[in-house]
Parts: sequence; C-alpha cells; structure tokens
Amino acid sequence: MSAAQIRFATLWRREVNRFMKIKKQTLGAPLLETFLYIMVFGAALGSRIKQLHGIEYILFVIPGLIMMAFSVNAFTNNSSSILQQKFQGAIHDQLSSPASPLELLLAFSLGGFVRGLIVATLTFVVSAVLVGMPVDHLLVLVPSLFLVGFFFSQLGVLTGVRAEQFDDVAFVQTFVLQPLIFLGGVFYSAALLPQPFETLTRFNPLYYMINLVRYGFVGFTEVSVPLSLLALTAATGALFAINLRLFSRGYKLRA
Amino acid sequence: MTPQALHIKDLAKRYPTGVEALRGVSLEIAPGELFALLGPNGAGKSTLIHCTTGLAQPTAGEIEVFGHDAINDYGDARQAVGLAPQELNIDWFLTVEETLDYHAGYFGMPKRERRERTRELLETFSLTEKRDERTRTLSGGMKRRLILARAMMHRPRLLILDEPTAGVDVELRLELWHYVQRINQEGTTILLTTHYLEEAEQLCDRIAFINDGQIVGEGTSAELSARYGVANLEDAYLALVGRNELSRSHIEVAAQ
Repeated sequence: MSAAQIRFATLWRREVNRFMKIKKQTLGAPLLETFLYIMVFGAALGSRIKQLHGIEYILFVIPGLIMMAFSVNAFTNNSSSILQQKFQGAIHDQLSSPASPLELLLAFSLGGFVRGLIVATLTFVVSAVLVGMPVDHLLVLVPSLFLVGFFFSQLGVLTGVRAEQFDDVAFVQTFVLQPLIFLGGVFYSAALLPQPFETLTRFNPLYYMINLVRYGFVGFTEVSVPLSLLALTAATGALFAINLRLFSRGYKLRA
Repeated sequence: MTPQALHIKDLAKRYPTGVEALRGVSLEIAPGELFALLGPNGAGKSTLIHCTTGLAQPTAGEIEVFGHDAINDYGDARQAVGLAPQELNIDWFLTVEETLDYHAGYFGMPKRERRERTRELLETFSLTEKRDERTRTLSGGMKRRLILARAMMHRPRLLILDEPTAGVDVELRLELWHYVQRINQEGTTILLTTHYLEEAEQLCDRIAFINDGQIVGEGTSAELSARYGVANLEDAYLALVGRNELSRSHIEVAAQ
C-alpha cells in the first residue's frame, strides 16, 4: 500500500471504528426502530389495509423503511462524528496530517455510508426471510440506494461541519429530515392524498427517492425512474461539490 | 544551500472577527536547533503554530518547512512536522494504543512500522500499562504524555511543542526535558512555546519574543538580556510587556 492509501484507509477506519464501538446505539437502536415500524405499519395496520396499488401493504412499506434506515443512519453518523471531533479538538489530528480535502471529505462521508448500508442490508435480509421481500429491478435498486446513502452522507458531513452545538444537528434531523421522510410517502401513496397535499408531495425530494427504491424492490413507482435517477445524481453531485469546496476552504474546520 | 527547518516570511493572519493575530512575522529556524517562542497570552504564538500546521489559514506571507511549502502544496511540509498542541485534544472513542496507531496511519506509516513505533513510544512515555484504556479515563498527566507520544509517532523532523509543560508535575516536566534534549541531539529540530522562562533558557539555543502579532526580539538569552539592558531573560520579558515593576532582581540583590 502507498502512503496515500494507508492514510485514506486509516481515516476511513477511524470513522467505522467509532460507530462499531457503540454498536448498541449506532446499529442496534436503528434496527429495533425499523422493526417496530414494520410491526406497527406492516403487521398491525397492514392487516386492515391489505393492498396498495395491487401490492401487499407490508411490501409497499418496507422499501421506504429501508431507504429511511439508510438515509437517517448515514446522516446521523457523519453529523455526530464530525461535531464530536470538533468539540474535542481531536479533528486537528486529521486536519494537520498531509490528507487532502478530498481524502478527508470522502473518509468522513464513507463512515456514515457504511453504517447506513449495514442497517439497510440487515433490514432487507430479515424482511426477505420474514415476508419474502422481492427485488424486481436490481439495476435500479443498487444505484438508487447507493445515491441515497451518499446524498445523506454528504448532508450529514455538511451539517456536522456547519454545526456549532448538538442542537444544530438535532434541529436538521427533527425539523427537516424527519418531516420530509414521513411526508415523502414511506407509509402511503401520494395518490391517496387530497389536494393540495398530493401536489405538495411532489416538491419533496424524498418522495422521489422513496419511489426509486420502491420501484427497485417491488416494481411500483408514481414517478419517472430515469428522471428521478438523473435528478438524484445531480443533487448528490452538487452536494458533494459544495462540501469539497467547503473542505478546501477549511470552512469552520480551519481557523 | 540547505533549507531552513522553518522559514516564515511576512506572515499575517487576520481572523474573520477582524482580530489581527499575526502582523508580518518573519522567522528562521535552522535544522537541528532547539528554538523557543515566548510571549504573553494572545501574542500570536498558537496562531503561528496553527498556520504552520494547517490548522489556520494565513492571510498573507509564506511558510516553508525544510524547503517545502506549508500553505498551498503542503503534503511534504506536514509530513515533516509533529505537533503537540497546548489543549488536550484526544479522541475519546479511541484507546491509548489506537490514538498512536491512527495518527501514524494518517501520516502513511505501514502497519508493521506503526506497531513497532507504538510499542517504543508507549514505553518511552510510561504508557504501556495504559495501552488498552480509553483515553477519556486517563489523568491529565497521562493525556499530556499521550499527546507528546502522538506528535512523535511519524518521526517528524520538526517537532512543535506548544506549552508542553503547562500543568504537569515536576517529574513529568523533567522527564520531558530529558526527552526533548535527547531527540534534539539525535537531529530533531524543536520549536517550543512556554511560559516558563527557565525552561526556555535551559533548553533552547535561541529564543524569540512575540508580542501583539510581531516578533520583537530574537537571539540567545544573553543577547536578549543585553538588548533590553537587564540582568536576565525574565527581566527582558518584563521589559517587553512593559511590566518592569514586577522584576525580582532587586529581591535577589537584597537577599545577597
């Protein structure tokens, strides 16, 4: 391995090691939360709703839950990790190393991405075993989940870098992300909503992400798959470019 | 010509708040020197160190470490510098051993070498028994040792010690002095900031005074005393900060 490869691997290993050391909180809790959702919305509510657009309700809901698990964990991990290290001043150890802004950004991003991927994969495996969760369009599902995970990893990094106190991170998570996810159609179809809510839903970027992932799993979507993929790619690319610029300028990281 | 270990020219740093922490600082430290930077709190010592190590971005000027640009194309310059900062900035999630191992990894050191170097420095700084403990459980003195060991992990050619003996007990201070002198004799250039003037006097070849973001005096302890027309380094320092009335010279004369 070259010095640069060792450096990047170590930066990334530190991020993964952090959440692996507190597994109960970083992996256990989100898994439990996802299964509670499956129990309540899938088993309890599902027994009354039966089907949505010809799909069993539980199969309609699980793709959204998997997407939610991926995104929330990717976001939370990165925003918390960066803010904690800023508080401790420990981030100076990485910042005073020869690592480039790109290496730092990618390593911080990948920590949350891996955590989200682990929670999402475990949720899928258990869903596949319990309710026979299908995968209808693997070639749409994999890039969609990858982009969703990377988008929220970037958002987590951005939030962590900008944040000056833990309240700043909690604000984004509780007052921005959570409502967008819940109102993006994880648990229902936007087509069932009365106006103006149906139209408003179409302005929610999470709606397109949920539909992409749902299409990948069960083959149902309310939006154009190619257009949504294109928009998600563009949004992820734009967010990455913004973060890279902030890291290069040392925004709120270097005095 | 052999490049200087640290070459700083016309360095300026203005923070977004408008505070001018450095106002045209120029400084040369030769390879192998043990150099002290003295000055009151807020004089610009830490800002100068942060600019050298990439933790602050200079507004103007140039910094080179062993001939390598430390501001724009900083890879080689940072590789050559080890920083033991004033604040105990340790990652709470890591153990003592991981702290050292990760640091060396950030500087591209291969695994086998990291393992050997970690073992060596744990021993040197009496941390071997604590190797598996989480850093947050360490005492203040142990944390200070760990920060020094971390700074040395990647074998820097220029070691920057920002107030390394602040708040440490006598034993550790003397241990540290011995260690600093030993690695300096082995070839490591050292930049030390301290508020203990006797520390600078005993350890360092040359001393610079920084005040209000400017270097206001530079030389050996004797040269600085002569420059201010006083008997010792402490009085030279008091002259610099305009507090001559605090001088202890008259007490010493009376005692004799």
